Amino acid sequence: MTMPILPPEDLSNKAISARITTNAIKSIKNGLIKKKNLVYLELNGCSGNIISLLNGQNPDFEYTFKSMVDIQYSNSLMVAEGEKAIEKLMKALEGEYILAVEGAVALKNNGLYNIIGSWKGKPLTGLEAVKMLGEKASHILAVGACATHGGVSAAKPNPSESVGLNKVLPHKKIIMLPGCPVHPDWFLGTLAHLLLYGEPETDSLNRPLMFYSTLIHDRCPRRPFFDRGIFAEKLSDKTCLFKLGCRGPVTRTDCPTRQWNGHVNWPIGDDTPCIGCAQFGFPDAMAPFISFDTTRVVKNE
Amino acid sequence: MQNIEMLRWQLNSLVTQVRQDIYTLSTVPQQPIAPQILQRLWDTTSTIHFISELLANQALHCYQPIPVNSRMIPVNNSPSNSTQISPITPIPNQSNSQLNGRNFTIGELATFDGKNGRPAYVAVNSTVYDVTNNRAWAAATHFGLLAGKEYSQEFATCHAGQQSILATLPVVGRLVS
Repeated sequence: MTMPILPPEDLSNKAISARITTNAIKSIKNGLIKKKNLVYLELNGCSGNIISLLNGQNPDFEYTFKSMVDIQYSNSLMVAEGEKAIEKLMKALEGEYILAVEGAVALKNNGLYNIIGSWKGKPLTGLEAVKMLGEKASHILAVGACATHGGVSAAKPNPSESVGLNKVLPHKKIIMLPGCPVHPDWFLGTLAHLLLYGEPETDSLNRPLMFYSTLIHDRCPRRPFFDRGIFAEKLSDKTCLFKLGCRGPVTRTDCPTRQWNGHVNWPIGDDTPCIGCAQFGFPDAMAPFISFDTTRVVKNE
Repeated sequence: MQNIEMLRWQLNSLVTQVRQDIYTLSTVPQQPIAPQILQRLWDTTSTIHFISELLANQALHCYQPIPVNSRMIPVNNSPSNSTQISPITPIPNQSNSQLNGRNFTIGELATFDGKNGRPAYVAVNSTVYDVTNNRAWAAATHFGLLAGKEYSQEFATCHAGQQSILATLPVVGRLVS
């Protein structure tokens, strides 16, 4: 940008992205920013986070993986398969890379409940892979509920003895991106921040403050109903969903303003309670997701 | 006063959103997204209506004190059969004079489980608290804990040194063995 920005600067989305893009291109030209390698591991989970990622916009998924990083390994997206794919994973170990992990680490039987491929004729467990890659990674992102704290994979009775990433890499700093799934912006935004400015500011649980700082409850458009004690009795009611079991008061994300599916809507906007999917301990600690037998009597049902 | 400032801020942002939506509609009249935008406009207008009623109510209170529960706020999209429950304001040591001295056995406490219209009570260090309208106890559950039980151990584990949490809860009695 040739002109200096004088206050009040233009705060439209277009202007902001133009400023960031121009700065980024300038930094790349001056050699201040380099494309980094990204290894995306999928462990014990449902691949929901990578599917959510495909829904990303500004930047979208294609731009991210082509222009922002050099993707070294992603079992869902790469062309190579079998040992050839694992070969790429092993090769990535030689250079510098950012490690993103979705899914929990299955501990039972020394990790045998989650095998991500085979290497030299032997099965490669998720446990081995994440220990090996985690030790050498420049940054580690735990993507989604399972990677951050075990999530659905670790729900009772947890037959695979799944745990979050921090349990197997206790001495590494891990940026936590809880959510089931993670919002594409939360992952892409954190990745972009890593590339442009280094590690983002985080809270005591290592969640980036730019996405996880505020309780849903404190920014909920239905907060006035809570404060006046006007509560929904059933799904589809337009009032506060607290009595039905809404977990907005204990969950910290920017869902009310960011919204989902291309920033169109979010659960409470569609008259269904927040289930606290981005809270540690989800899903067990957030159950029941809905309750009609509550502290108030429903007369007409 | 802080609340009024917050409501004013919210009203302004809602009005901005309405303007934006109207502008979007005017530029893309035949888009399939139009019904969604109209729905949002409708919802936003309802919220603006609600907040303006709230503000008007507060303004009236400034001139003539009226009991809080006697005024109903018309909300055009709330179900007509809805009744209002006044929120429990978290004032330290707020107590209900009839219940404050009551003694609960663990069996009696168990009946206050927040089900079927019953209040939700929990006990910590022999004090029984009302969490019926506490925001962290949606549907009378809290991180897998159910209302109607004794949680001294759990409280000590998760909220060590956070006695202030207890100070904001209404006390309804004591737990006796």
